[in-house]
Amino acid sequence: MLRLLLFLFIFLLALPPGQPANAFNLGTERFRISGFGTLGVTSAGKKDYGIKKEHTHDAQFGDVSVLTDSVFGLQLDLNILKNLDATIQAVAEDRIRQDFNNIVDWAYLSYKLTPNSVIRAGRMGIDLFMLSEYRNVGYAYLWTHPVVEFYKPVSLSHYEGFDFRYSRRISPGYFEFKVFGGQTGSDINVGSGELNLRMRPFVGFNTSLEDNDWKLRFTYTTTDTAFIKSPTDSLVNALNQVPQTIWPQAAVLYDQLKGINTQTHYFSAGFSYDKHNWVVQSEFALIASRWIGVDMTNGYLSAGRRIGPVTFYTVGSYAKSGSHPRIDQNQHFPADLEGLATATQNLLNALHIDQNTVSVGLRWDFHPKAALKAQWDHTWTRKHGGGLLELKKPLDHDITLNTFSLNLNFVF
Amino acid sequence: MRFLVILTTFIILLPLQVLADIVVIVNPRSNITALTQHQIIDIYMGRNPGLSGGQKLQPYDQAADSSIRTDFYYGITGKPASAINAYWARLLFTGRASPPKLVADNREMLSIIEKDPMAIGYLDERDLNERVTVVHKIRTQNRE
Repeated sequence: MLRLLLFLFIFLLALPPGQPANAFNLGTERFRISGFGTLGVTSAGKKDYGIKKEHTHDAQFGDVSVLTDSVFGLQLDLNILKNLDATIQAVAEDRIRQDFNNIVDWAYLSYKLTPNSVIRAGRMGIDLFMLSEYRNVGYAYLWTHPVVEFYKPVSLSHYEGFDFRYSRRISPGYFEFKVFGGQTGSDINVGSGELNLRMRPFVGFNTSLEDNDWKLRFTYTTTDTAFIKSPTDSLVNALNQVPQTIWPQAAVLYDQLKGINTQTHYFSAGFSYDKHNWVVQSEFALIASRWIGVDMTNGYLSAGRRIGPVTFYTVGSYAKSGSHPRIDQNQHFPADLEGLATATQNLLNALHIDQNTVSVGLRWDFHPKAALKAQWDHTWTRKHGGGLLELKKPLDHDITLNTFSLNLNFVF
Repeated sequence: MRFLVILTTFIILLPLQVLADIVVIVNPRSNITALTQHQIIDIYMGRNPGLSGGQKLQPYDQAADSSIRTDFYYGITGKPASAINAYWARLLFTGRASPPKLVADNREMLSIIEKDPMAIGYLDERDLNERVTVVHKIRTQNRE
């Protein structure tokens, strides 16, 4: 795949930069093929504490990888009738499960009901946060990768269903409202094995108001976990078998760890400002759920300054679990339950998130269709707060981690 | 004194900066006589549901690496071309809109606008002719 990416990139650079054929368009009036890609080199993690920016990737334990950030995507847009269009987007990247179903990220029909409203149906990008729909398109955003503390916890990339979007210019700016519904899921690597999730119904809305220089955005989404298969299933199910009279807390912990039939609510607010030489963006989210693996608050603030073709930036981000349940210390366990209690506490510690990162980096727009980016992330993870990491041993002390990434991003 | 002579000579020999404005143009058959900066931003930034009269204009863009394109977008949005390119990547790869079609130069831009009553474009004011209508003017001091 890398050889193919390299070939494509060399091909792109060989194109005259200002050719009139269209910077993003290799198609005709009714048929368009566009593409994007990233070639990346990343060094991350430590011997026992792995970092990964997406749940779909393998973690890095201090090694250098060319697969972590590398991605290649193709998009086909077809105008079928006057107001009816079809879009297919395929994305090749390093992911735990490579099959046709995962590679096809989008496949939907869109129909323009009025000049201000569009309805779509099929498989579409999840639109939870500002970058959610285009997190694979590195050229479209400032950093080498989406902010880990904010974007990694939501591993969903697409859903099957519908959306309806209404937009119009009102007095303060350009207003948009979108409502969506359907089902989603993901197959991800959680270190100890594969986690398969299916969420339905998946419903929500987002609304934004933007003008030339700024954008405000709010999102609410709710979903129910209809199916889960996890490496910790046997442990969690064992909690459900413990008689209430022997260990009353077991039922509560089972409810917090099972995931299945648990409702999760996503609230988020975002703001961006981009004018002249300044680029500022910030998002905060509350993910509320009885399932402690996802219950958290997170956010980031990014500020950049353009100097010629180079933008220098810094980002501060955090993620923190809503709670950190502990096994009742006063509970007396029979000998046959001590192992279960210890394993449960280890799982609670491993799931808990308490982490923040400060990043500095630069983006060099050296070509109308390509940009080079470099970034250093310095991450602080608190004792038993490594839920976003991949742990080879329990995190029983505070640690710091460094990530260095160098990216070449392009579109065509 | 000699310093002043040298300085004056140097200034005289500097190429004159021509304040060549950029004009936004449409076909006269569109019956559009003026557009606000907001309307032009919406048309060129993919927020183009149509004008109040129900007309939907098809925007045309100058070559991706041309200085006139850089000046046009900086003039109407205050942003450099790199920010505009990244913005369009966001719109394209979220399925929201396709970027304006590109033309090679001012001559091709004029040719398209003269033929298509629903086309909108921009060019150097010095290349203007009477067969198109100017609907907005962008003053720039960056261009030669």
